[in-house]
Amino acid sequence: MAQTQEQVLVAAEEVTKTYKTGKVEARALRGVGLQVKAGDFLAIVGPSGSGKTTLLNLVGALDSVTSGRLRVLGNDVTTMSKRRRADLRLRELGFVFQAYNLVPVLTARENVEFVLELQGVGAERTSRAMEILDELGLGEFADRRPNELSGGQQQRVAVARAVASKPKLILADEPTANLDGENAEVLLGMMRRLNTEQGITFVFSTHDPRVVAHARRVVTLVDGRVAKDETKGPSQSADSQTGIVEP
Amino acid sequence: MIRRVAANYAFRSLFRHTRRTLLSVVGVGVGVAIALFSASWVRGAIRMEIRAAVESGAGHLRIVPTAWLDKRENSLRLSHPDEDYEAARSLRYAQVVAPRARTNGLLAFGNRSAGVEMIGVEPEAEGRLSRIVQRAEIEGRYLEASDAGKVVIGKDLAERLDVLLDDELYVTLSGADGMQGAMFIIVGLVETGSEDIDSTFCHVTLDTLNEVTGYSGPGEITILLTDYKHLTAAQRQLARRVPPGDTVLTWKDINPSYAAGIESDRAFTKILIGIIILVVALGIAAAQLAAVLERRRELAILSALGMKGRQVISLIVLEALAIGLGGMVVAVLVGGSGAYYLASHGVDLEALMGGDASFGAVLLDPVVYGDFGFWLIWYALVIAEVATVGASIYPAWMAVRIDPADALRTI
Ligand SMILES: Nc1ncnc2c1ncn2[C@@H]1O[C@H](COP(=O)(O)OP(=O)(O)O)[C@@H](O)[C@H]1O
Ligand SMILES: [Mg+2]
Repeated sequence: MAQTQEQVLVAAEEVTKTYKTGKVEARALRGVGLQVKAGDFLAIVGPSGSGKTTLLNLVGALDSVTSGRLRVLGNDVTTMSKRRRADLRLRELGFVFQAYNLVPVLTARENVEFVLELQGVGAERTSRAMEILDELGLGEFADRRPNELSGGQQQRVAVARAVASKPKLILADEPTANLDGENAEVLLGMMRRLNTEQGITFVFSTHDPRVVAHARRVVTLVDGRVAKDETKGPSQSADSQTGIVEP
Repeated sequence: MIRRVAANYAFRSLFRHTRRTLLSVVGVGVGVAIALFSASWVRGAIRMEIRAAVESGAGHLRIVPTAWLDKRENSLRLSHPDEDYEAARSLRYAQVVAPRARTNGLLAFGNRSAGVEMIGVEPEAEGRLSRIVQRAEIEGRYLEASDAGKVVIGKDLAERLDVLLDDELYVTLSGADGMQGAMFIIVGLVETGSEDIDSTFCHVTLDTLNEVTGYSGPGEITILLTDYKHLTAAQRQLARRVPPGDTVLTWKDINPSYAAGIESDRAFTKILIGIIILVVALGIAAAQLAAVLERRRELAILSALGMKGRQVISLIVLEALAIGLGGMVVAVLVGGSGAYYLASHGVDLEALMGGDASFGAVLLDPVVYGDFGFWLIWYALVIAEVATVGASIYPAWMAVRIDPADALRTI
């Protein structure tokens, strides 16, 4: 596959992000260049404070860059209004956060359904939410509230919710940070399957080496800069991308 | 916009802190109940005040010469008394139709004198129209249809003139041809307990009045309706039937200062209700704000997922609506029972003030009954919802302002 034909979902050039708290400036990102391609299963690693969360927030249109260029799914997110960014997140992006992802007063199914409802999906949203949970082996948890689920189960429901809105790109900031090794494996396995079987692109941050082992591409941030960008097993990568490049 | 899951979400959120929600509901309920109780009392009292005014001679409606509106002169007479009278009589809601005429005069006895407004009446109609005639203590008697040259005056007026029953009063009054004089025999002395009335009351028959003044026909036709609620409809109907030259007024036009007093009572209740709404709203705002702040992370995640500000607002407002609805139920139960008690038992002001007989005299009823009706439900609903939904605006705005990137940084 020629590089030029690969679909670029995220293109960051010289992106910087500086937080100002009073007189103190924190330069979280100091010129990040990065391309995320359709089908990527990309881990962002780096020490604490290296800018992983900041980068994911920028890519997820949750925050705005200080300088540089950032295109996400063809949108120049540096110039988008708050409302259009919310729309982009709702329609094209999925999110999984570190913990407490779910609305505690809603059941697993309702949590999934709620996103569909926000998207304006009609009456079939209930059955669609159920299908997704079943597909991901979470059917038995459908009617449980988050506090009746383990941390690992909650995270898997959160992934199901992210998938339900049929996003092109799912962003996950330390999704396994609160999980034990076994649960982390299960979650990563599930994400990986969605990546290979449904072609959903994942970008997640972590500092767990076992999680990193699942990634096909690892971007290392150090002090707000990309220090390393490695892709493992190029043949494998090319395989799964062929199906997605030209839908 | 609000669909099923969102509604579940809002509703179940109320039960995250059941006790807090219950306290909010009870707070709203008690506040609104106080408003209902006060409104019941004031409405009842106003109804009684209006009845007192209307049944003490003012009537609900009055047909007067159109010119009276500007001049308010007692020498004016109706342009079409017969048509007016027929129109009033054929009015469906009319209970009493009483023609009258007035003149200004000077009563004299010996070397004493007093200016009065003398009213010429049809005694039978006046008796059915006026509480004064019905309820006052009358030494002697009230007028009869055949009473020519007879007068009934107030007790205080009689004392001022130093006259007794059967004395002959000399009356000077302005008639059609200038000043006229006439003698009247006092057949009744009226005592109501109201100084205002007892020192001004002066009735003769309409025929007598016209005879001495030289005018003819009534100067006004006063109408008592079967029920106050027909006032507007009756006025409109009557106005259509009364020929030009004459005009239909309500008791408010006739007694503007009294009506203004009643309006100020109403304004007072409105202010009271406004204060209650404000106090209730502040309490709810505090509770809702706490509910929003402790859900910061959750709302941030939903906002990250793409939930719009509008949707966040409807979520918070929906919760407030539910609290308002709960508060309304409490208010209707508590305030409604209070209002029911007020309406069925009333409050005996005379007893409250130590059985002072002079109180309110014959014009005001000593027992004030509250008002009870479906309006209580509407009041409760509107007050409770205005307070709670109004209160949720600030917390909702705070919820919308949550910045997901910022809120998600701290767990
Ligand atoms: N809202 C903020 N205000 C001030 N400084 C911030 C803020 N967010 C992040 N930072 C700083 O930016 C740097 C990068 O943070 P972050 O992106 O959270 O790193 P990581 O996720 O890799 O731990 C850190 O030095 C952090 O202190
Ligand atoms: Mg982080």
